[in-house]
Amino acid sequence: MYKKSMWFTILTILVLVGLLSSGCAKETVAPTIEESVTVPSETESAEIVPTEETAPTEETEKSQIVVVIAEDPPSFNATVNASGFDALVMELVMLGLADLDEEGNAYPELAEELPTVENGGVIIDEENGTMDVTWKLRQDIQWSDGVPVTAEDVVFTYDAVVDPEYGFWINGIDYVDGVEKIDDYTAVVHYNAIYPGYLTQFGGYLMAVWPAHYCDAEQGFTQWDCGFQPLSNGPYLLKEWVQNDHLTFERNPNYYEAGKPAIDEIVVKIIPDEAVRKQMLINGDADLDMWTPENVIVELKDYSDVVEVSLSPVDRWVMRIFFNLAAKGTTDPEATPHPIVSDVRVRRAIRMAIDSATISEEFFRGYADLVWTEFFRPPYNVCDIPQPVYDPEAAAALLEEAGWTDQDGDGVRECHGCTTGAEEGYPMEMEFITYSEYGEALDLTQEFIAEKLGEIGFKLSISRVEGTVLWDTSENGGIEQSGNFDIDIWDDGYSGNDPTDFLWGYYYSEAAIPDYGYNYGRYINPQVDELIDQSYTLDDELRKDIFCQMAKILDEDLPELLLFTTVDANAHSTRLQGVRSNANEIVTWNVADWTLK
Amino acid sequence: MGHYVVRRLLQAIPLMIIVSIVLFALVNLAPGGPLAGRGQSKRMRPEQIAILKRQFGLDQPLYKRYIFWLVGNDWTKIDTDGDGIKESYGQGKGILRGDFGMSYRTRKPVMDSIKNSFKNTAYLMSVTLVVVAIIAIPVGVISAVKQYSIFDIIVTSLSFIGQAIPEFWLGLILILVFYVWLKNPLTGDSLLPPGGMYTQGAAFSIIDWTKHLILPVTMGVVGWVTWYSRFLRSSMLDVIHQDYVRTARAKGLSLNKVYYKHALRNALLPLVTIFALDLPYIFSGSLYVEILFSWPGMGRLYYQAAIDRDYPMLMAILTIGTLAVVFANLLADIAYAKLDPRIHYD
Repeated sequence: MYKKSMWFTILTILVLVGLLSSGCAKETVAPTIEESVTVPSETESAEIVPTEETAPTEETEKSQIVVVIAEDPPSFNATVNASGFDALVMELVMLGLADLDEEGNAYPELAEELPTVENGGVIIDEENGTMDVTWKLRQDIQWSDGVPVTAEDVVFTYDAVVDPEYGFWINGIDYVDGVEKIDDYTAVVHYNAIYPGYLTQFGGYLMAVWPAHYCDAEQGFTQWDCGFQPLSNGPYLLKEWVQNDHLTFERNPNYYEAGKPAIDEIVVKIIPDEAVRKQMLINGDADLDMWTPENVIVELKDYSDVVEVSLSPVDRWVMRIFFNLAAKGTTDPEATPHPIVSDVRVRRAIRMAIDSATISEEFFRGYADLVWTEFFRPPYNVCDIPQPVYDPEAAAALLEEAGWTDQDGDGVRECHGCTTGAEEGYPMEMEFITYSEYGEALDLTQEFIAEKLGEIGFKLSISRVEGTVLWDTSENGGIEQSGNFDIDIWDDGYSGNDPTDFLWGYYYSEAAIPDYGYNYGRYINPQVDELIDQSYTLDDELRKDIFCQMAKILDEDLPELLLFTTVDANAHSTRLQGVRSNANEIVTWNVADWTLK
Repeated sequence: MGHYVVRRLLQAIPLMIIVSIVLFALVNLAPGGPLAGRGQSKRMRPEQIAILKRQFGLDQPLYKRYIFWLVGNDWTKIDTDGDGIKESYGQGKGILRGDFGMSYRTRKPVMDSIKNSFKNTAYLMSVTLVVVAIIAIPVGVISAVKQYSIFDIIVTSLSFIGQAIPEFWLGLILILVFYVWLKNPLTGDSLLPPGGMYTQGAAFSIIDWTKHLILPVTMGVVGWVTWYSRFLRSSMLDVIHQDYVRTARAKGLSLNKVYYKHALRNALLPLVTIFALDLPYIFSGSLYVEILFSWPGMGRLYYQAAIDRDYPMLMAILTIGTLAVVFANLLADIAYAKLDPRIHYD
């Protein structure tokens, strides 16, 4: 009996020691894949030549910065998950054909110059409505194993993306008939339509060119190992990845821009809690916090001697109210119009009753810029759309005019002669939904709007759901795709500098079909459809004219209510210079230009 | 005892089957899904949805997905390229053959992530549980033995405070005090780090690893110690008033021998049971601790999988967690039988 107890005790102790020591095994190399992760570099592949022994010199201290982010990147392939964290690390090691700066201007990366109609890089066949884009690549860019980046890599990337088994969908890929290699440094993309977004087809912040000789095509674009052990042609090399803890990058000595990057090492640490990230910045234990929210920006003002905040000159995300023009639970606005918001006067009244300036000041700490049209970003911010006014009295009058009056004195209007087809006496009650992940600022905004609309006779019940529930497919009961909402509020905006695909997705009538687009409001306007079709042109002046016509119609019809933009900001230490927040990109877009004071 | 253990293990099989079916249904039928937009892509194109459905196997009916999850799909042909023709055999082997599938998020085997995270959680939670035992047992015993003494009153008050403090708030206060306010007088750096398991880039050092453990372990220990010490105090009070303890004292045994050799052993019995039932935390971890102290463990892995609706990852964690609970219960029963000779299992 005693012996059994003794052995049992010994066994227990051994198990505990084993568990304790299991955590002590430190990852020293990037792990997720079983094989060793040392990414081949040019020097390693060279033949080893014996040299004379030289006296050891003192190692100069490496310059290092620490970037703190909330989540571990799923992989280096930002196309697949588009979490933003994947794009952040992808920008450190990989280049695309072209990229966008913070003003929305495209610039070449792997390309020698941007192909345009003027320089003959873009040939348009007006008769057939097709175009060919010729990309000439720089000849001085190599992968970190010394192999040059060539047109072969562009073709390889395209083939991998369109692979039916393991490929993925990227913007504009449906317009591409094929990518042809002309010579080692020339590739032609054959389009079956005029596609204005061609410049960032194989670039931008979600797409890179992948190495043909290194990535395993059989594994497939969405799951190849090179998405975890990338071969670099960018400013940095991946040195180490300890999952969910940190990634370490060292400067790529063969980066094509001479003298760049200036910083030797970048450590990206995974710090899920926002308060801890902020404190690390203040303490000097971090140099850059990605996606700093408004409340933290305000708190960091007290530490301006050690922390600066880089604000993007143009914002991407627009907080907007979506109106379901079809009755809740349906998706046909003509057969079953929404009993309340299908009347444009009601939508205009809602717009007049929302005090966006107060929301911006109080809840978004002054960092929300008011917008009222989709076309507020250069180069299409040329339309003369009058700013809406905050006038709750006029809003109330408009509701009276629309046949919504409060006859029973309970503070909630009812339909008395309204034109939406609602029954006589139908109350002006709706569910007002938003998603919970944004945080306090949006929660307060939602409550404030409900309160303001309550003052003019609406009764809104507030709901908050997970984003995945709001945006899921209609088959899965996704709230918006299945039309199971009255009005909701959340933020969205187009990436890059071309709104065409975004406009199609939100305002084209075909996009109102469940799961076919994002026209959640079921807005049907053939005139807008035609304008969107016409906007698929490379004539920028024509596009501006088309967009301005669209802006006017959308301002009149008000299928969505645009309120304000949310800030795109990244806080960084004062010793780190060159950080330029960019709404079209992720903050590391210009990491090669960063320096330390 | 051997028969009992074998019987319990056999009973676990239908239990696991039922639990797996319930979990699979709950996970897959819960609102939201992996095909919804998130992050930088709040909206998904229909083309993306169609591709992902196929790649994730979500184009199959629910019952088939369960069967494939259980036994794999390498024995049947599936449509991998969306042309409607089932031309290729699947690649999954199913959990019965040790294949928990590919994560929707990383597209890599789920077990790779779990192995990485599990050892970190096991390390943290093992230390936490050991510290809990080291503190709770003597505190509980002394509290009981010296009931209503100043020590007992202080410990009781602290226990109530400890149980009332929200865990997350406590963690933030620990960071505020030990990372923000207090500095190392020699180096001027923060007294303790705000998170992580070790100082990145530094050579391995026990002191470094220990410094990184202090705050997360403290956050985990506070709630548990208060609970265990109160429980042991209550159990000990029950035991020391038993007749055999009075007899031992009457026989002239020293108080230490009476309390620590005779009474404590019996008072520990229910605590051992509870301790064994808490062992699954070594696998599941503590979400709040891992988030606040950036600990790359199972709690965060599960949370991320829940946010992303990463079904294979969720199912793997839940299934292994369930197994851990089943085994922990069995271990508790065996431990009880070992410690209490009155208990026999047939």
